[in-house]
This record gives sequence, C-alpha cells and structure tokens, in this order.
Amino acid sequence: MADTAPVWAVVLLPFALAAAAVLVAGFDAVLAAAAEGGRPGRPLRAAPAPLRAGLRLLGQQPRRTTAGDPWLGRIGIALVPVAAVLAGAVLPWGFRAVTDPVVGVVWFNAMEALAWAAVWLAGWGPNSALSLVGGYRFLAQGLAYELPHMLALTTAALGAESLRVGEVVAGQRGLWFAVWMPVAFAVFLLSALAMAFWGPFDHPLGRDAAGGAAAEYAGVDRLVLLAGRWLLLVVTAGFSVPLFLGGGHGPWLPAWAWTLLKTAAVLGLLVAGRRLLPTLRMERYVEFAWTVLVPLTLLQALAVAIVVLER
Amino acid sequence: MPDDVVFWVLAVPAVASGAMVFRYDSMARATYALLLSLLCVGGLVIRLGLDYLGVVVILMMTIEMALMAVFMVMFMMNPAGLLPMSMVHNKRGAAAVSAAVFVLLAAGIVLAPWPGRRGKPDADPTMALGESLMGPHMLTMMTLGLALFTTIVATVVLATGRGRYDRFGDDLCARRPADPVRPGARR
Amino acid sequence: MGLREALRRIGTRHPAVLLAVHPGGTKTRLAVEAGLRRRGWPVAASPAAASGLLVVGSGGAGAGEWTDALWRQLPYPKSRSAVTEAEGVETALDGLLRTLTAPAGAGVAGHVGPGEGEARGRLRAGPGGHGAHDAHAAHLPHAGPVAGLPMAERADDRDGLRLDRLHLPLGPGLADWPAGLVLDVALQGDVVQHAEVRITAPAAEELPYWDEPWLRAARGEEVGRGAAHRRCCAAHLDSIARLLAVSGWPDPAARARRLRDAVLDGAPGQEWGAELGRLGRRVRRSRLLRELTAGLGALPGARARRFGVTGPALAADGDAYDRLLTWLDEAALCAAGVDDDRPLAPHGQHDKQGPRGRLDGPRPPSQALLDALPGLLRGAEFTSARVIVASLDPDLDELAVAAHG
Repeated sequence: MADTAPVWAVVLLPFALAAAAVLVAGFDAVLAAAAEGGRPGRPLRAAPAPLRAGLRLLGQQPRRTTAGDPWLGRIGIALVPVAAVLAGAVLPWGFRAVTDPVVGVVWFNAMEALAWAAVWLAGWGPNSALSLVGGYRFLAQGLAYELPHMLALTTAALGAESLRVGEVVAGQRGLWFAVWMPVAFAVFLLSALAMAFWGPFDHPLGRDAAGGAAAEYAGVDRLVLLAGRWLLLVVTAGFSVPLFLGGGHGPWLPAWAWTLLKTAAVLGLLVAGRRLLPTLRMERYVEFAWTVLVPLTLLQALAVAIVVLER
Repeated sequence: MPDDVVFWVLAVPAVASGAMVFRYDSMARATYALLLSLLCVGGLVIRLGLDYLGVVVILMMTIEMALMAVFMVMFMMNPAGLLPMSMVHNKRGAAAVSAAVFVLLAAGIVLAPWPGRRGKPDADPTMALGESLMGPHMLTMMTLGLALFTTIVATVVLATGRGRYDRFGDDLCARRPADPVRPGARR
Repeated sequence: MGLREALRRIGTRHPAVLLAVHPGGTKTRLAVEAGLRRRGWPVAASPAAASGLLVVGSGGAGAGEWTDALWRQLPYPKSRSAVTEAEGVETALDGLLRTLTAPAGAGVAGHVGPGEGEARGRLRAGPGGHGAHDAHAAHLPHAGPVAGLPMAERADDRDGLRLDRLHLPLGPGLADWPAGLVLDVALQGDVVQHAEVRITAPAAEELPYWDEPWLRAARGEEVGRGAAHRRCCAAHLDSIARLLAVSGWPDPAARARRLRDAVLDGAPGQEWGAELGRLGRRVRRSRLLRELTAGLGALPGARARRFGVTGPALAADGDAYDRLLTWLDEAALCAAGVDDDRPLAPHGQHDKQGPRGRLDGPRPPSQALLDALPGLLRGAEFTSARVIVASLDPDLDELAVAAHG
C-alpha cells in the first residue's frame, strides 16, 4: 500500500519531471548528432543542445499571426505541460506518490485526454493551414490510440482489482504485470509515444508540415509546447513502471532507485527505438489500431479477467 | 467552509462558461467554453464524494469535445474560426423551449417531496457503483449498451454513401476495396 | 546584465537556420547543408522555428519577394544572410552568427520595426497567393475577406459532401522541397482536391548542377564517365534523403546526405561503397516504410510514357516506394562505375541519361515530372502529397536553363 508523499513533493514534482525531461531530450540530441555525423566522434557534445535551444527560445520574441486566436492557442500550449504535471501527480516514486486517489488510473487517463484537446487547440490558434493540419493530425491520432490505450490501462487495473495506482503496484509484488499481460504492456508503450506525440507518432508536429501544430510558435510559446511534450513523454513512459513493471519492487536496491532505473530503461528504449522507425501516418495506422490492437487488447483483458476470477 | 469555497469556485465558472457558449461567435471558443463548463461539473461531482464518476465526466467530456473538433474540421477548413458565426439558431423557439424546461425542472426541485437521508454513504462509492451496475441493474445496462451500440452501427450504415458492393464489387470478389485512401492493415 | 548576456550568447551559438533556396542554387545548397552539419546547427522547418534566414543562390527579378516574406515571419532576434557561391558558405554562416551574438541593440537583432514579427498565418509557406481568388461565400453571414484574408469557399469533396475548401500555395519555402516549385492547391481538410504547378525558375547562367556532366559532353567538352556516374549517384542520394526526411525518418536521411557529400567530394569508391550498400539494405529491410509509402502516387509505365517521363520514374513503373527502390538500385549501379576513365560519348544511347531522364529530348526531364504531378496529387492527403512530390523530386534548375536557351 502506497503512502502519500510529504507536501514538499508537490513543489518538487514539476522540477523533477523537468530535470528528467531535459536529460531525456539531451540523450535524444546525442543520438541525433551521432546519426547526423557532422563531427565524427563528438556526438556527446550535443547533450546540452536542448538547454541551449531553451535559452534561445527564452530570448526570442513571441510571434503573432494575422486574425489568429492567440489566447485560445496559448491555453492549448499551456495545457500540455499542465496536463503532464497533473498526470505525474499520481506517479509513485518508490511507493509514494504526490497523491494516490482511489481512481488514480482514471485520473491519469483523464489528464492525457486533456493533452489531446490541448494540441488541437494549439494548432487551431494561429489561423494557419499547416498548423491546423498538424492539430487535427493529433485528433486522428487520438482516435487511433485512445481506445487500445484505455483497454491496456483497464487490463492492469483489472489485474490488481483496483483503480488505485498504489494497489496496482502492490499487486505486482510477486510477478510483474508485464510478464503476464505482454500485449497490454506493448500497447501501453505504443500509446505512450502517441500521447506524447513523439517518436514515430510525431506526425502532428511533422517536419513535412513545417512543424505542424508548432509551425507558427516562437519564443516562450514554442518552448512551453515542446518542453510540455518531453514532460508528457517522461510521465507516460514513467507510468508504465507502476502499471506493468512492478513499480518500486525489486531486490537489493531501495524502491526509489528501482523506479528510477526502470523509468530510465523504458525511456531509453523508447528514445533509441524511435530512430529505427519512420513516422507513422494515421490514415494507415488507424485501421491497424482498430482492427488489430483493439481486439488484441480485448482478448488480453479477457484472459486477465479469467485469471483474476479463478485465483 | 472550504467546501463552500470549492463549490462556488466550481459552480460559478460552470454556469458562466455555459452561458458563454452562446455568446462566442467562434466554434472553437464555444466548444472549449462548453468543455470548461463540463470540467467544472466534473469537479463538483468529485466534491460530492463520487470520485470515479467525477473523473469519468472529465475524461469523457474532454474526449467528446475533441471529437466535436473533428467534425468542426471536417466541415470547415477555416482556421481559427475566422468566420464569425452564431451558436444560436431558431432564437424564439429555443428560448421558449429552454424557459419551459427550466421552469419544469425548477418546479420539480422545489415541489418534489425529497426523502430524508437514511443510512450512510458507502465507504467505497466506486465499488458500490460497480456492484449496482453489474448486480441488480445488469439487465438494464446490458440492454442499454446493446441498444446504444445498435444505434451507432445503424447510423453509420445509414450515413455512409458507399456500401460493401461499392467497395468490393457486385459479387464482393474484389481483393482490395475501392477506397479513396489505401488502408493500413493488409487484408 | 553579465549573466543574462552570457546566457543569451549560449542560446544563440547554434542558431536554427531556415534555408530559402532559389532554383539554380543546388551546388551552393549542398555546401550549405554540409556546413550546417559540420557546425551542428539545426535546419529549421518553418520561419517561426528559425533564428537565421539563409538565402541560397540568386533568383532573378522579383525573386526577392518571397524571401522577404519569409524574413518578415522570423521572430526577433534574427539574422539574415545570402550566399551564391559554394565558397562563400562559411563566411555567410559566420555572418549569421555574428549578427545574432552581437550585444543586444546592435544590428537587426533586438529591434522591432512596425508590423514586423507578424506573420500572415496562411501565407507562411508561399510567396503571396492571396487576394486573387474571390470567395464563394453567398451562404455566409459575412461574405468577403476577414482581416484581409479571403474566406474559404465550398466544393464537393471526394466522399460527395459539400465542404469548405481553402486555396493555399505550397512552397517554395518548405523544407526538403524542390527549389523554386510552388504548388497552388485547393485543400479540403487536409485532402488535396486540386493542384496546379507554378514555376518560379528564372533563367540561370549556369548549367543545372545535377545534369552538368551530360550537358557539357553534349556541347562537345570532354567529360569522364566516372564523373558523370558520381554526379548521378549523388543526385539519387539527394532525392533519397529528401524522400526519407519527408517520410519522417531522419537517421537514414542524414546517412544519405552524408554519403552524397562523400561521393561529390571525390572520395574513392571503396571508402563509401560499403556504406551505400548498408544504407540500401537498411531502407529495403523496413517493412514499415514500405507499408507507409506503397500505393502513393502510382505512375504506371504507360501513363508515365504519355507524360514523356523518362529516367527512374519511368523505370520504377509504380508508386513512391518503387521509385525509392529504383533510386537505390541506380545509385548502386552508378557507384560501381565511378572509376570509369572513358569519356562520356555524347551520341551514345546510354550517355544521354541524366539522373532524372533523357537530356536530349525536346523538354527537360523534370518538365515531364511536373506535368505528371497534378494528376497524382488529386485526392491525396497533405502528407501523401509531400511524399509524392519528394518521390518524383523534379529539379527546377533544368527548367531555368530551358528558359535561358
């Protein structure tokens, strides 16, 4: 049973998530520099690139577009990191989360859905065709990932017979859910990428549409949107640890160390794996999601339900 | 006292942004004003102690408004709602209908003989809700679910312009459907 | 202010650069891309993402209009530079950096002129496509332009619904886009309903870079076959890199670009031949890439011939994925012949085939590709349209010369 962390954790949470996001973005920058191969043997020097880019954006003037709806767009932009941090509130570090409500799993899902609405809003705001194209690419993406994602979440909650994240972790004391719910785990990882519109699911911010939903944003606006995306990636990937990888359970090391290790492993896998795949286009992916992933996750949920009833 | 503060903090924006839906002349603003209103209602439901229902209201309404945006985009390629538009149609009729409904509901609230509370709320309302739905009301829920699903399928069948004969040929023998966009999953 | 200034300097040390490439500037563009890669500066995909604008090549009269429009859309602090010769790249990049890192208040950085920093949303990718078309807006309460922008009109969509549509110029400022190409498209949602090619290629002084060896041989100059093979191989690698970048696969795209530069640098074949093979295998092995690009922009041989298409697009006899494979095959074939010392025979049957097709025809091969383009784009989603354009990769330098002579 997880406890609630002390009050200072509330203050610490955004900073901890931001630090993790910077580290992950730095790792990605190193991989990108290695692939680019500009200066052979020195890709490590690209590690601070996200920080540099952040400084550059901080010093920039925000942009206006003709007949846009800047406030609506800014609400959308701000919602991305806010939703990520709110979702992160139920993320247990070791066995303690900032808060552990009875319906933690549903809360997490609701906050992600908020990010879904936010990106569309960000794309709509600037009154630019390419930016709107990016915005509704994310809507299409949501239609593709949201259902399998919910079923994966449900499966984990079903296995623990509780919607409380702490009890989901407690339910994995002996055996990780990833072991006996592999399909749900894999689908969760896929949808974590899709939700953070990152990796092969970066179509909403695709280069082909000149940056998609982010195409018209400069300065702080852009920084908040892009940083919010990394936060979302960290939080969604981090949530796979309490849901499927046993949370803080593990031998020898303290619980927080296990959480950190497992989260780092999942993030490393996702960031490195991205480089192997081209961007998924939703008009091709959505059918796969609905005709393959949804039935598969349903079968997985059925199997888990039978196990739960029999034990 | 804090409970009262929370109530008013949620209730006032809920009503205000609900009213703004009819004041804004941009589809996106109207949609998101409605979303804000519904999020506040979700918060109120949580305040009643029904955590699960409240969070589900937040979740479902957010997704619903995002879906509404899909339709918005489908019907107008008009970024940022450049074109001012009215969210009010058939003003007089609508006013009459809404006034009548309001009076009816308000009268119901005031005049109904509300029973006094007996017993205590369940320790775990989520569990109680689940047991109620899956226990005594199982038949109702199953019927409802099936009816809803049938409605969705029937609506799609009626709405779609191209049936399977258009897609797979008169003898349904075509290997690949004649769709404007090639689908992703192999058949 | 010391810390603030220092932070600002750190932030601007690796500025994102937006490239505005004029037709005829291919050789300079390659040098610019290599220079940016050496410095580790990112290439921006849109004006909002950029700190510097680098105008590559020299456009003719009126060509400054769209680069000025791009420049206005860059957020402050910003810096602009132009480069016309491959040798001037380092100077131009240094110049960009100097303006950006100059103390605040100096130069253009930090100043806000009236009306600057405001971008016209819909205009962002194009050189001014507004105003000409009238809005069919009888059903709308507010017919006519709003904030100076024309409203969307309505038309039947591909599913038989009557929906709004928007006219939009695509290019010439898009990333991984043929220099000088503008597509006037009518979009419904993100489905291209109708596309028209508008060419902004001015007459150029020089021969088109990718076709240079063959055209020089045709003029009677002595050109080695090895040099021609090298150029052909690099041209295909450039196209492959663009197609992969548009498909959202940055790593192999970067590999193809790096290979392209190695090939053009004149490095001996054994240094990069194996890497070329590895790249080919990597791309071919990706089932996902095949699933994503198959079926886009199908151009069967018969239809291609009707448009006068020659070269890889004809040989591919299929969709975007087939064209990618053909480029890979031909690049490998060319790579095998880079050490061929024999001169290019101007009248030999096989020696008139440039990277994009036969160069002895009445029209340059890219013109045929452009003719085929609008038909392929009709009904395609925005992304698919980008993939289709990249999979044909017309080279507008060729048209510049056609206009010239």
